[in-house]
Amino acid sequence: MAKKKTRKKSAPEKKPAKPPVKLTPQDRKTLSSLKNLAGGVVKAAARSRAPHLEVPSRSLSNVRYNKSKRFIEMGSGKNRRELFNLSQAKSYMQTMLVGSGCKTLIEQGKTTSIRGMYYLLKHTIEGVKEETFDDQSDCDPIIEDVEVTLNALREELHVYASNRGAMVGPLSLTDSGDDIDCSRMGSGGYNIPSIVEDEVLHFRKCTADFVLHVEKDTVWRRFNEDKFWREHNCILTHGGGQPPRDVRRLLHRLHSELDLPIYCLLDNDPWGYYIYSVIKQGSINLAYESKRMAVPDAKFMGLRSIDYERCELTPSVTIKLSDTDIKRAKQIANYPWFAHKKAWQKEINGMLTNGFKLEVEALISKDISYVTEQYAPARLAAEDWLD
Amino acid sequence: MPAPNATMDAAANGKKPRRRRETAQSMAAKQQSISVSEFFAKNRHLLGFDNPRKALLTTVKEAVDNSLDACEEAGIVPEIWVHIESTKKNRYKIGIQDNGPGIVKKQIPLIFGKLLYGSKFHRLRMSRGQQGIGISAAGMYGMLTTGKPVKIISKTSVRKPTHYYEIQIDTKTNTPEILNGKGNGVDIPPNDAGRKYILKHGIEWVAEYEPESEGAKPKDVRSGTRVTIELEGKHHRGRGSVDDYLEQTAISNPHVTLHYLDPDGNQHTYHRSTRELPKEPKEIKPHPYGVEMGRLITMFKDQPATSLSQFLTTSFSRVSPAVARKICEAANLSTRANSRKLKREDADAIYQAIQATKISAPSTDCIAPIGEELLITGLHQVVPGEFFTAATRPPSVYRGNPFQIEVALAYGGATQAQKVTLSALQQLIQESDARTLRQFLMNTFDGVGADAAERIRNEAGFGARQSPAKFKNSEIERLHAAMRNVNLSEGQSMQVLRYANRVPLQFKQRDCAITEAVMNMNWRAYGLSQSRGSLPSGPLTLMVHLASVWVPFTSESKEAIAAYPEILKELRLGLQAVGRKLGIYMRRRKKVKQENERRSVFLRYLGEVARAVSDINGTDRDELYANLLRVAERKTAEADVKFDDRGRKVADQSGFGKHVLIVDQEQQTADDAEADLGPTNPAPVNGKPINGKPAVDANGQQQPKLFD
Repeated sequence: MAKKKTRKKSAPEKKPAKPPVKLTPQDRKTLSSLKNLAGGVVKAAARSRAPHLEVPSRSLSNVRYNKSKRFIEMGSGKNRRELFNLSQAKSYMQTMLVGSGCKTLIEQGKTTSIRGMYYLLKHTIEGVKEETFDDQSDCDPIIEDVEVTLNALREELHVYASNRGAMVGPLSLTDSGDDIDCSRMGSGGYNIPSIVEDEVLHFRKCTADFVLHVEKDTVWRRFNEDKFWREHNCILTHGGGQPPRDVRRLLHRLHSELDLPIYCLLDNDPWGYYIYSVIKQGSINLAYESKRMAVPDAKFMGLRSIDYERCELTPSVTIKLSDTDIKRAKQIANYPWFAHKKAWQKEINGMLTNGFKLEVEALISKDISYVTEQYAPARLAAEDWLD
Repeated sequence: MPAPNATMDAAANGKKPRRRRETAQSMAAKQQSISVSEFFAKNRHLLGFDNPRKALLTTVKEAVDNSLDACEEAGIVPEIWVHIESTKKNRYKIGIQDNGPGIVKKQIPLIFGKLLYGSKFHRLRMSRGQQGIGISAAGMYGMLTTGKPVKIISKTSVRKPTHYYEIQIDTKTNTPEILNGKGNGVDIPPNDAGRKYILKHGIEWVAEYEPESEGAKPKDVRSGTRVTIELEGKHHRGRGSVDDYLEQTAISNPHVTLHYLDPDGNQHTYHRSTRELPKEPKEIKPHPYGVEMGRLITMFKDQPATSLSQFLTTSFSRVSPAVARKICEAANLSTRANSRKLKREDADAIYQAIQATKISAPSTDCIAPIGEELLITGLHQVVPGEFFTAATRPPSVYRGNPFQIEVALAYGGATQAQKVTLSALQQLIQESDARTLRQFLMNTFDGVGADAAERIRNEAGFGARQSPAKFKNSEIERLHAAMRNVNLSEGQSMQVLRYANRVPLQFKQRDCAITEAVMNMNWRAYGLSQSRGSLPSGPLTLMVHLASVWVPFTSESKEAIAAYPEILKELRLGLQAVGRKLGIYMRRRKKVKQENERRSVFLRYLGEVARAVSDINGTDRDELYANLLRVAERKTAEADVKFDDRGRKVADQSGFGKHVLIVDQEQQTADDAEADLGPTNPAPVNGKPINGKPAVDANGQQQPKLFD
């Protein structure tokens, strides 16, 4: 670290020609809260007190379902993280490291992925053979901790998650100054960037009637190839399984800014139900961002457990429920936001009585384009979905 | 078998008569009594003369033990001179002199020239010697191996003449044969005439004590005995050596001053740390429980006729008239029965009655234990540990013999192997006859097991079969460095110092009741590691002392104690007593270790935190680090402080109870560096032992005044 540090510090001296980075007001705000964080340590140390951090708790016990807002909110519970506590010392040190990493990124006007952040901060601790971070899974939760502690968004810290979502549809936008027409993106579609805030991604024109979000890439390709979005005048998105926060943020913006209803076409399994739940109510882990991400009006279009009979599927396309699936399904049925919804209880019970799960791809067994030509249009026409 | 029948049968069969074997008559001609001395001349291994090394040690040991017994009995503070001189290859002249009461003229030949002659066998009282074999057997061994007689000089008073004898033992008859003075010995007149005579005839005698202070007039040795034996032997150092024996003797006898002149001309002096003699043990009568049937019958026969009640009260200890009456009632005999007219059946009835009657344990003033305080100081002077504790058990009884167990324990500190100096190591290697390095390390240094020896060998990078005798100087230096660097405390097993009536036991460790008791204890309960059926491991030294009127040795060479259940039980209780205290210390030590680990975890991350914070807001990294460090030390200091207050300070040892000594290791290390004690130069037994200052020049070249 020592070597690295000196290099970093001496860098601006060597290249004085480099123009100073222009900080946005948001950046200044984030920097000041970072400095507050550091100032606390200095203050405590000067007074011979043990420094500590208050990290809002990101566990199930600290979230609650806000019935009126219809999404998950984070409670006020906080975890104390102390430097002089054997089990917390290391994570305290890591939190401070992430803080300094974010500061460096903001000052240099650059962004990096969470993996990049991991590499930026990973080094051997002086004098011992221990690494600051053993692998990325050590670093990721710390970044989230810093987000909640500073009450700053990941984007504001100049860190982004790896992107894996795609979008296509009658929507034109500006992405970092480039004009993009999402209806002319070829077969691959528009890759949803990791930061989708208005400063980066500005909607210009949208003629779509609704958004159809599908679970994964393979289904999305089917819909795109069949030009479903053109025929039904919609925006087609996918999130590569559990949608990353950028996809969810984008869905939120499409819904709240452009007034587009969101329909989800997901697998008929506990995982699919949970993806819907996360889109609709927000996730437990990122409960603090629910208000910017949750789309309480999102609808669950399919697949439904009745689809096995309704679409006359064969047993060979079913997948037997595993024990963990059954456990998970029961857990989901008990979530407060599903608990009083009779339709949902019926749906989950249906899957449990079926004893199998169904993937969207199962519909291909009927016909390659069955899902785009018959299944989805029929649901949309009948306005047949779960809320 | 009747021999005549056999010949008749042979004649009747008409076969060639078989050559006659022996007849009862012819055999009777060869049957004869065997003298004790002949028996032991053949079976000298029974007495500890099985190899030249051991012979040398046993001789010194027997003489020193006798000297100490004599001095204590006479109430003289003992001073002993041990002088070993090499006369030829594998031949040594051993002279041992004491300042005891001396021996009257007519007893000298019997004591030194007749096996099984002594004062200690028949009485019940704690003493070092008990059989009356030792010194005469040593003389016999010397005579057998070198043909030289035993020389004895004895002086009983300043005014009376000194007796000088040269004696050989006649093994056939077990009687002494006086060689000088035409079979009558020589009387050396007292005062100056005597001094001249001694000088003229080259008789060895230390006539003066070392001056108490520089320039003071030395005091005359007023009385004493010197025995000189020349024998075939082998001198070595390390485990089981004379050095080792004298050192251990000094631990258990803090009132003794020992002067030792080794064959290389080095003078070692172990000064006494107290002038107070051990309490004089009283002679007691046998306890009824310890008397066997046959013995009882002999006792009835030996004593003049009295009433049975009278007999019981006078010949046994702890038998009051009331107890005697109870015994008589239980045996269904009258208290007035004539003790000489009792029949065998009556004796049997009395024997059974004694076993059935409750009789209090024998009085224990016949035993003089070393005492916990002296045990701790003694051990501390020799073992450089950090924790010392001792326990003296109350006296107990086996087979009617009172005995007492004392246990002292030392934990920690560097081992001998780590403290040995380079020159001492060179000398040790030269003297050793070990074929491999591993063998050398294990045989020479206490507490170095196979595992530790192997690690030292690996560290130094020597081959498994390399012979240490062929090491070059540079290789010895490498070995020396490796011995210092390897952490021996792991895999090092407990060192057990065994004592019986203050005499160190150096051989047959495996056969001894003490070792058995130590191995059968569960030391894991006290925070040590121990594998099943072996000694616990760790930097431990255990000293166990059995004091008794009759120590049950497994053999005449007095090397191991027999495992009577009563003795094993007392040993166990004694070991548990010190174990508990060690356990408390180990737990506190562990706590400190944990605290230190905790601190090291914090310290590891402080630098990173300080750097990250200074990166964010530009505060001075070093200042912040210093501040954080202060907080860290305060946070982890608590347990340290507690330990300091409760543990290290000897004045306040809450929780340990009595008799615990804890040594500050930092202080200790500094002192060690100053004293630089090698294994051949053991810590002094006198002076200011706690701060480790040597009270004597342990390796001084000053020769004792042998001739005057």
